[in-house]
Amino acid sequence: MANDVQHAAMPPASVPVIRTVALARAFALGGQVVRALGGVSLQIERGAFVAIVGASGSGKSTFMNLLGLLDHPTGGQLFVDGVDASHLDRDARARIRGAKVGFVFQGFNLLDRTSALENVELPMMYAGVGRAQRRTRAVAALQAMGLGDRLEHVPSQLSGGQQQRVAIARALVNRPSLLLADEPTGNLDSATTREVLALFVQLAVEQGITVILVTHEHDVAAVAQRVVEFRDGVVVHDGLPPPEWQPVVQAPWHAGRVA
Amino acid sequence: MSLFTLLRVALRLLRRNKLRSALTVLGIVIGVAAVIAMVALGRGAQSNVASQIASLGANLILVLPGATQTAGVKGAQGSSSNLTRGDIAALGREVPTISAVAPTNRVSGQIVYGDANWSTSIFGSTPAYFDVRQWKVARGATFGDGEELTAAKVCVLGQTVADNLFGDQDPIGQTVRARNVPLRVIGVLEPKGQSVMGNDQDDTVLVPLATLQQRMIGGSRETVGTALVAATGPDTIDAAMADMRAVLRQRHHLQPDDDDDFSLRNMQDIAKANAEVADVLTVLLGAVAGVSLLVGGIGVMNIMLVSVTERTREIGIRMSVGARSRDILLQFLVEAVALSTLGGALGIGIGAIAASVLQRTTGWPTLFDPQTAAVAVAVSASIGVFFGFYPARTASRLDPVEALRHE
Repeated sequence: MANDVQHAAMPPASVPVIRTVALARAFALGGQVVRALGGVSLQIERGAFVAIVGASGSGKSTFMNLLGLLDHPTGGQLFVDGVDASHLDRDARARIRGAKVGFVFQGFNLLDRTSALENVELPMMYAGVGRAQRRTRAVAALQAMGLGDRLEHVPSQLSGGQQQRVAIARALVNRPSLLLADEPTGNLDSATTREVLALFVQLAVEQGITVILVTHEHDVAAVAQRVVEFRDGVVVHDGLPPPEWQPVVQAPWHAGRVA
Repeated sequence: MSLFTLLRVALRLLRRNKLRSALTVLGIVIGVAAVIAMVALGRGAQSNVASQIASLGANLILVLPGATQTAGVKGAQGSSSNLTRGDIAALGREVPTISAVAPTNRVSGQIVYGDANWSTSIFGSTPAYFDVRQWKVARGATFGDGEELTAAKVCVLGQTVADNLFGDQDPIGQTVRARNVPLRVIGVLEPKGQSVMGNDQDDTVLVPLATLQQRMIGGSRETVGTALVAATGPDTIDAAMADMRAVLRQRHHLQPDDDDDFSLRNMQDIAKANAEVADVLTVLLGAVAGVSLLVGGIGVMNIMLVSVTERTREIGIRMSVGARSRDILLQFLVEAVALSTLGGALGIGIGAIAASVLQRTTGWPTLFDPQTAAVAVAVSASIGVFFGFYPARTASRLDPVEALRHE
């Protein structure tokens, strides 16, 4: 069982983590059909660090929800690790979500009154990991985030930066292919923002984890290798961050670029 | 997620909301406690009736003499004295479904011991009386055929009489006087308590029938007041009564269109009527208490629904890390069942205590039976499943995107 998960998480490097073909999502709102996402085709390679930007209502959140399998598309196709995830039911989506996707949210979304350790154990509980192994891996994940001395602290006893690091530990503990971060630095001060973004860069570079970051801050988006901009449900820009955006932290791929 | 993990998580979440969990549980606790206490009360009444039936003596049939008739005016039943020892002996001989017969005569009288005295009923009967009524002595001995034949001056006291005349003193071997006849006390009967009719069965003195007839009252030695007859079993009571009626009619030379000049009574019929009342009582009390259990269940549902709304974000978070609908459904269901089962267990304890307090303060008999307790736990767990299912399903069907956005 654990072996299967391992295999599923490690498809050939040539297979893109995300591939969408005319991916669309429409909502029925009071008898009217609102096209939140109108046919997006793109591909995200393994270990990439991609920023998704756009005004609110541009469709970037809808796109994120589709990539994270929280939502289902109404048109087009979505491949996660080469597997067609366009027409999966709720439970199948939940299973893939648990195994391949880690979420980091602006509001941290940790369970209240639940220790850091238990928060990090949560994804493994749903993945069917045994109790002892759960504990060992959760402790290791928190130690890797520099929270080895905060295991039994509940969210209200942790600073914003610490809470976000607990959330990142939780997102990574099932060894996902994809880390989806929705405005992860929105609630953090600039020092902590730099810290978290440096961590994301490190994950992408050293562990080959694909990071997709939704943000509206240019200096945060500029950290990424690639910026995808949404407007009115379609992609209007896909490429290097505009040169005038100053990244908050440096990444290897910034070398040689005009500062 | 394993059921054990689910249970652990559920209990932790319930502990986190101690006051609310306690209040939710309270509804079930009261419901189950009410059921347990009320059914204990009903069962107590039932067992009281059952023990009354047993205290009569099993399969007892009474033979009463008929009424006197003077110029068409009928006296009370039993006022005539047309039953004879011969009749009673014939019954024992000729009816195969009878196991024992005990003719009795009864007089009221004062029993005197030293300067103590007590008015009671004095029964004269044969040794068969003790078998028919299934009555043993607590101390001493009963009289036998020898005492009956010789009209020996002995008596056996009922517990009430013994208590009133002798107090803490041992009555065995002492001599009491009844109707100016000195009687040696040879035994004290074990207490039987109230009869089906509500009178004190222990307020009695037994002497051999011959002693009563020859020494204490005048008149015919042949006449018998009432006869107590034991049928061979509960199934043969009706047959025995039919045969007894035929024998007595024949011995009294009654024509086919004459009325019976005696009457036969099956005491169990009276007891059965009482038992039915007790059954109805149990069902009614149980039903009223059941309603409060239902209300408790609705309380659980209410709290679970509030909980689902309040914890929408938590549900979203759980879904985002891979929880399937089933996981969420089970989580809430296990919480509801844990709440109501806990309530059920507490309710049994409190109900049992309430029943025993009730018994002590009011004197009503109660009977706590484990079967009802087991049913109550099963019912409260099912209430958890039933009333927890809708909220749990609501939770499991939440849209993860919406749930995560919920504030």
